[in-house]
Amino acid sequence: MATITRPSKNDIPFAFWPLLALTLLGIGLAIYRLVVGLGPTTNMSDQYPWGIWITIDLFLIPFAGAAFTISLLSYFLGREDYHSIIRPAVLAGFLGYGVVGILLFLDIGRWNQFYNIFVPGFMNLHSFLEEISLCVTLYTLILILEIAPVFLEKWGYTVPVRWINRSIFIIAGAGIVLSILHQSSLGSMFLLMSHKLHPLWWTPALPLLFYLQAVYTGLGATAIAIKLIWKAMKLPIDRVLFRRIGQAMSINLMLYAALKVGDWMGGGKIPLLLKPDAFGLLAWFQFLIGIVLPLAILLSKLVGHTSGPFWAGIFALIGTFIERLVVSWIGLAEPGPISYFPSFVEIFITIGMVAGGFLLYWVVVRYFKLFPDPDKAHA
Amino acid sequence: MTLSRRDFFKAAGLAIGGALVTSGPVLSKGETDPNEYAAMLYDATICVGCNACTNACRQWNNTTPEPDDRQVYDAPKELSADTWTMIQLYQGENDYSFVKRQCMHCIDPACVSGCPVHALQKSETGAVTYDKDRCIGCRYCMYACPFHIPRFEWDVAHFPVITKCTLCADRLKDGLPTACAERCPTGALIFGKRGDLIVKAEKRISDDPARYVDHVYGKDDAGGTSVMYLSGVDFKNLGLEDLGTRPIPEISEGTADIILPGVLIGGPILLGLIRMTAKRGGWEDTWPL
Repeated sequence: MATITRPSKNDIPFAFWPLLALTLLGIGLAIYRLVVGLGPTTNMSDQYPWGIWITIDLFLIPFAGAAFTISLLSYFLGREDYHSIIRPAVLAGFLGYGVVGILLFLDIGRWNQFYNIFVPGFMNLHSFLEEISLCVTLYTLILILEIAPVFLEKWGYTVPVRWINRSIFIIAGAGIVLSILHQSSLGSMFLLMSHKLHPLWWTPALPLLFYLQAVYTGLGATAIAIKLIWKAMKLPIDRVLFRRIGQAMSINLMLYAALKVGDWMGGGKIPLLLKPDAFGLLAWFQFLIGIVLPLAILLSKLVGHTSGPFWAGIFALIGTFIERLVVSWIGLAEPGPISYFPSFVEIFITIGMVAGGFLLYWVVVRYFKLFPDPDKAHA
Repeated sequence: MTLSRRDFFKAAGLAIGGALVTSGPVLSKGETDPNEYAAMLYDATICVGCNACTNACRQWNNTTPEPDDRQVYDAPKELSADTWTMIQLYQGENDYSFVKRQCMHCIDPACVSGCPVHALQKSETGAVTYDKDRCIGCRYCMYACPFHIPRFEWDVAHFPVITKCTLCADRLKDGLPTACAERCPTGALIFGKRGDLIVKAEKRISDDPARYVDHVYGKDDAGGTSVMYLSGVDFKNLGLEDLGTRPIPEISEGTADIILPGVLIGGPILLGLIRMTAKRGGWEDTWPL
């Protein structure tokens, strides 16, 4: 077992320092927000009670959903070759959910009693927000269990690692069930806003759409991450695995597309699509860039090429971001002349927390064994 | 804060079992006949816009006036953390009307349905009440409300609360009418049992059909509300949208009732089956993913 080596100065990549600066700035601003309150620090108002933090949360959760999709494929659909990417995916998931948790804590006004969501007598099980809060908390604990062996191995605690490995199907299974619940509930949360959310996005099928979107977004994020990280670490890319990710993505993209088109046609929303306003254009843009384009890439021969799933992932991510942006912000307009754009503090807290996530990821990659050995990956 | 640390841990211990059995001490639907609810009827054709109601609300609830630029009148522009009711003017081309704004006290409120911690509740009197000791300040209620009512104390650092009309729940329990209705000098705003007010409203329309739009807003709208409106102008002009007659939370709660047990029970079974078949081999290699 290797001991932790202090990095020499040359070990630290250039990106480390700006990331560290942004993280520290974000932490400082977060403390400032907790001290002076939401009014002086954010541009949220009675007309726009939710801001960029909620939008980013809504985007980060499917992004970090890679961990759940990969667990499902690897542990339950018997795809051994996914094993090599479970750890990186689970760590990304854990850090993603960590950022979400911090942003949510900063967002709520009465954070002094945030734990009320865990008090049984208070719980409202008809509230999708309560369900999401509980699921995300439990799922974060699951992710900690799944990622713990990385650290426990390094520090020589073999017994708990064996326990975790032995019960990995139960742990991963619970994580998958909780993920299906909260990924869909993110969409269900907007079912109450039928009178406010733009009809091109509001549909009773929101939970299903958000779930499918989480699956293909997680897979897309995985393809992007593998390509970038493997390249940076000079590991050989497993092309078969890459194609499989692409195929799994395309199936979920097709299901999403069918459901979305079905809702538009069945709900008589075609006239809204043909209206030349911002929402009509956004809906087209989201559908063409976020669904049709990645599908076209994945159904072509490019799926066997590493850049195929990579670019499909990029476009799918853009589409998901637009959907989450519209559903939580642009498409939820309240009447009146007031508009919303995030404040400096809101933006830099967000950037700072995400930067902190990347920073911690780098630290773990650097000091712990997250990726398979190059020669093993060959076999 | 009423909840002690000990209570919290005690409660946390019951979490797993308790959560599945109860979803909190909220009045189950249909326990009180909505016709018996405390209610208000606002007749926009009678209101002269004197704002006595706004003032009565301030006095009873100790809210701070929001004066105009010259500091002469209390002239709030919108509902706010400090203004829980107000009179607004609709000015059309050939007509105008006042409209009183406040919480509608829905029979099946979206804010109550969305609130994760039951800080908002529907009480037996019909009032939608708020408990700051439960509230976490997530502001989901503000988005859920189809009438754009709940407000938030943005300028309070430690710790802001959600504010809105309480239907004077603290007066109802002593048998008093709401402060605003009691003060109204014209009779435009009257207080009573919801069932009685509906009868009165419908009689006004049938007695003088030329005066009114033939609709008691709130009788059935959004599943029914405890604050109801009569108007001589299109309700849309008063900011009272056509929300249909189904309760707003219906789809959301129906979905929760299916998804929660469905995924919690169906999910593990499905995963188990997948695992078993995959283990036996066979289709593992033919699976397209």
